[in-house]
Amino acid sequence: MSQSTFSSSVSAPRPGETTWLWLIKIVTGPLLLIVLLLHFIANHYLGSMSSGLMTYDDVIRYFQNPIIPAIEILFLITVVTHSLIGLRGILLDMNPSRPILKVVTWLLVILGVASIVYGIWLALTIASKGS
Amino acid sequence: MNTTRNQPSARKFWSWFIPIGRQVGGWAFALNRITALGLTLYLFLHLIVLGLLAQGPGAYDKFLVLTENPFIKLGEWLVVVAAILHGLNGIRIVLTSFGVGVVRQRQLFYGFMIVAVFAILIFTARMY
Repeated sequence: MSQSTFSSSVSAPRPGETTWLWLIKIVTGPLLLIVLLLHFIANHYLGSMSSGLMTYDDVIRYFQNPIIPAIEILFLITVVTHSLIGLRGILLDMNPSRPILKVVTWLLVILGVASIVYGIWLALTIASKGS
Repeated sequence: MNTTRNQPSARKFWSWFIPIGRQVGGWAFALNRITALGLTLYLFLHLIVLGLLAQGPGAYDKFLVLTENPFIKLGEWLVVVAAILHGLNGIRIVLTSFGVGVVRQRQLFYGFMIVAVFAILIFTARMY
């Protein structure tokens, strides 16, 4: 009996969440696992071999390989998108009114876009410090 | 479709975080949600802290001294543990979203959580 309760509840778009948003969240999930693994392997094993990236100079040197800012930017976009759609899903459970939901959605979009722009700027700034 | 069941409300909102007395699916849901909030908080802190890199070596290296602090280390440990739990539980959610293992959710959840415990133990041993 309890088995059927768990089995019947499968992740699905919440009321107020479009199928597209839900799908993006579901697809960025496994993508994140892959990119996070890359992020980790790169940061902790390719940085300075033994100690990771524990100084400013380490990080700058590490960012001279163009694949590194590329991985970081891909990770940034994926993780910000996934986390903010997820956060919106949690907020939807408070059953906000339509106008409030609209404000929440816009705030999250602004936060997301600002974070991604800032992150890309930061990655490129760090990469340019070595040259 | 039964639309009267499972309707969200502000009152019910908080009860999602306390799965006591609920079935294993409720625990899985709460685990996913709590780790999600923790990881989101960490993400934005992480982005802010990395901003120190733009200010030059002094600011960043001075901040990194904090990573020796046992409380900060515990915080970092929590982030990795949350990521392991959220990621593995998330695989179950993705699989069942696409119709894989829907009637075996409980087993999938337990299976992934056993993997998570091993991953956490290995990580803890490597970190400390």
